[in-house]
Amino acid sequence: MAIIQYTLKRLLLMIPTFFLVMIIIFLLVRFLPGDPAIAIAGDRASDADLAAIRERLGLNQPLLVQFWLFVTNTLQGDLGRSILMRAPVTDIIFDRLPTTIFLTVYAVSLSLLIAGPLAFVAALNRNKWPDAVIRTVFQVGLSMPVFYIGLILLTFLAAQLRWFPVGGYGDTFIERLHHLFLPAVTVALYTSAIIMRNLRSAIIEVLDAEYVQFARAKGLPDRLVLGRHVLRNALISTVTLLGLSIGNLMSGTLVTETVFAVPGVGRLMLEAIFARDYPLIQGLTLTFAVLVSVVFLLTDLFQSTLDPRMRLT
Amino acid sequence: MRGKLLAAAVAAATALTTPAMAQDRGGVLNFARYDGSKLIDPIYADRNPDIWMVGSLFDTLLRSSPDGNSVVAGLAESHEMSDDGLSVTLTLQEGLQFSDGAPLTGDDVIFSLNRARNPDLSPWAGLLGSIDNVSASDLTVTISLKAPDPTILSMLATFNTAIVSKSVFEAADGANDQEKSASIFAAGGAGVGSGPFYLSGFEQGSSMSFSANPNYWKVGADGKALPYVDGVEFQIIPDDATRILKLQAGEVDAAEFIPFSRVAELEADPSINMNLYPSTRIIYSPINTREARADGTPNPLADVRVRQAINYATNKDALIGLVLQGAGKPMTSPLMAAATQLSSDLGPLYGYDMEKAKALIADAGVAPGTKITFTTLAGSADDSTIFAALQQMWAPLGIALEVEQVDGATRGAKNRSGEFDIHTYGWVNDVNDPSQVVGWLGHTPTAKAVGTGWENPEFNSLFEASATEINAETRADQYAQMQKLYADSAPLLFMYETPFAVAVSNAVEGYVQTPLGNNIFEEATVSR
Repeated sequence: MAIIQYTLKRLLLMIPTFFLVMIIIFLLVRFLPGDPAIAIAGDRASDADLAAIRERLGLNQPLLVQFWLFVTNTLQGDLGRSILMRAPVTDIIFDRLPTTIFLTVYAVSLSLLIAGPLAFVAALNRNKWPDAVIRTVFQVGLSMPVFYIGLILLTFLAAQLRWFPVGGYGDTFIERLHHLFLPAVTVALYTSAIIMRNLRSAIIEVLDAEYVQFARAKGLPDRLVLGRHVLRNALISTVTLLGLSIGNLMSGTLVTETVFAVPGVGRLMLEAIFARDYPLIQGLTLTFAVLVSVVFLLTDLFQSTLDPRMRLT
Repeated sequence: MRGKLLAAAVAAATALTTPAMAQDRGGVLNFARYDGSKLIDPIYADRNPDIWMVGSLFDTLLRSSPDGNSVVAGLAESHEMSDDGLSVTLTLQEGLQFSDGAPLTGDDVIFSLNRARNPDLSPWAGLLGSIDNVSASDLTVTISLKAPDPTILSMLATFNTAIVSKSVFEAADGANDQEKSASIFAAGGAGVGSGPFYLSGFEQGSSMSFSANPNYWKVGADGKALPYVDGVEFQIIPDDATRILKLQAGEVDAAEFIPFSRVAELEADPSINMNLYPSTRIIYSPINTREARADGTPNPLADVRVRQAINYATNKDALIGLVLQGAGKPMTSPLMAAATQLSSDLGPLYGYDMEKAKALIADAGVAPGTKITFTTLAGSADDSTIFAALQQMWAPLGIALEVEQVDGATRGAKNRSGEFDIHTYGWVNDVNDPSQVVGWLGHTPTAKAVGTGWENPEFNSLFEASATEINAETRADQYAQMQKLYADSAPLLFMYETPFAVAVSNAVEGYVQTPLGNNIFEEATVSR
């Protein structure tokens, strides 16, 4: 019951958050220099053409009226029509969102697969050579820009060895795993470096904790100690870290999706900003806000199941 | 590199006139684009990725000749201008069909041209402002004009006057023309146009498919209907490096907009043909010529001598070497690319001459350390290189050049409001006639002479007179005078022309990008 109550409360709290996001994004795009009418009609349009476009889009109405329309329409699920794509914003976002979610989940899974075992190896061999090697390699990974790693992977694994396609998305689940492997690895190399460092120190900390020493003292086998006590407790901070970095992961897709030609919402956001496509920018920002809020909520719920001491209040 | 440009020009011209000898038929050409189409409709196409594809799906009454200097037959097999210049009579070919086999008639022509010249619908309606009425009987189409219009034949060879099917539009879902157009495009399929292909697949921002139109009127070298290929598959790959990797990995057969810094590398690749198609693209920088800047401070660039000085102090060949790795040439007409009709060849404009530049600056009394701001596109490597070079080149004049980086929309807004000193800009002709670019760059009422605020009454009246001048010689003379006036008062930093760089695999032949940028696939072949 507590969990349902807590979830409802958190969902209610999202309403003011979204309202704030709406105000901020609404004002932000409008105070950007640059005119969507020019973005639509091109630099060559006459002043009369531009006036007609502003009229059609309602851009010459007072800001308060525009905001009121934005809020009331959004509440009815209508995010308007994209200026650039000439289609409803919700359709466009729902069309592209699954790709980005797939890519993000794929990347997170890969980073856990990479970071998890290595963190254990490093922690259990603290300050010995395996630890040093693992930490150095990840340090290098962390210090290289995402797009640079992406291009190197593309050049060698895709263009030369032809193990993976250079870009695109694929149709079936297996094809998608294949197509999106390089972009997912690119993102994962970066996040796994962060996770590995965090998980390693968390494991070291837990290994030194009295309850682990007690578990060992009472003769539990290592496998059980590591699985039940060490991993479970060390994971708490890692899950928090992953949840908090969802924003970073999403913004990382702006770069990754462009480099790897993946048609997701990250690339869409870039296009929308360059075209001053107000409705699309607003819709995408709201979508990002919803996603991040939901992930934060899930993180909290997950934490409480890992650690019953974390009360849901 | 000049030789290469010429070779590409000849190749382009021959590809348009004499088709490939070996008639490989069939296959699908995979083409990597830098940006996707949003809506390919003759009258709503307003971005280059849309405009340049109109000709693949639709057909115009007339077409530009391969050299761009005249028009040849299209859907209309012949055309005749009346002696008073007030009407054009065209005769349609017999048996024309849309891509679904439905007949293309005079009614479709009337519908299409009326749609194209309706200012409530098309952003391009102004180009057809001279048309008074369009009528048709059987195969004869008559266009009557309000006043003589020397550009009308070029306009009938321009994308916005391409013919659409009236009945498809009437049957389409949507409350108005724009909604109907969007729903026709979204549904895809044959029928709306009569071009060499029809749209057979579209995924916003990711891919697009064209399939061969079995009813296309134009015939290939083997006597059968064009196109040779079964279709074209487009993939949208905005990142330059990825687009090239796709080509090198053999995942696509062609990649467009190759950055000039990579041209030499691809030329060395034996499996790739690096094509540099001559274009009407010019790269220039508008100079604010107003007496005061937008913030009220005096504007040193209002003095024509300062504008001439910075033009002399700019070593264009060095810029071309730095930015284009040599794949370009200095502008020789101040108002248009050399490939445009009526362009004057004034030689390299303001050839590098530092002594002259210094003398002009001294004459103008510009104080050492005078600050000028150069507005560039954020993230553009080319713009950053141009700025760095100009800063060095103009330092001997005592000019302290500062950079301001903005995005495209902001740059456009600054151009309109006059809040700039100098900024980078570019242009590609949409029409096979100089009136569009000359109006944009020089005619004050059109666009404040590309935002510079330059106002020359003699130029403006020459331009206005040329708009109704049907005597070709007189009109050519008017254009020559305008180019001379414009060059002398230098409202621009005259820079260079760049080709369209498209890399194709050895399997592809016959693909052409025209000087206007149009992608032509009708005579392309792909052998596997």
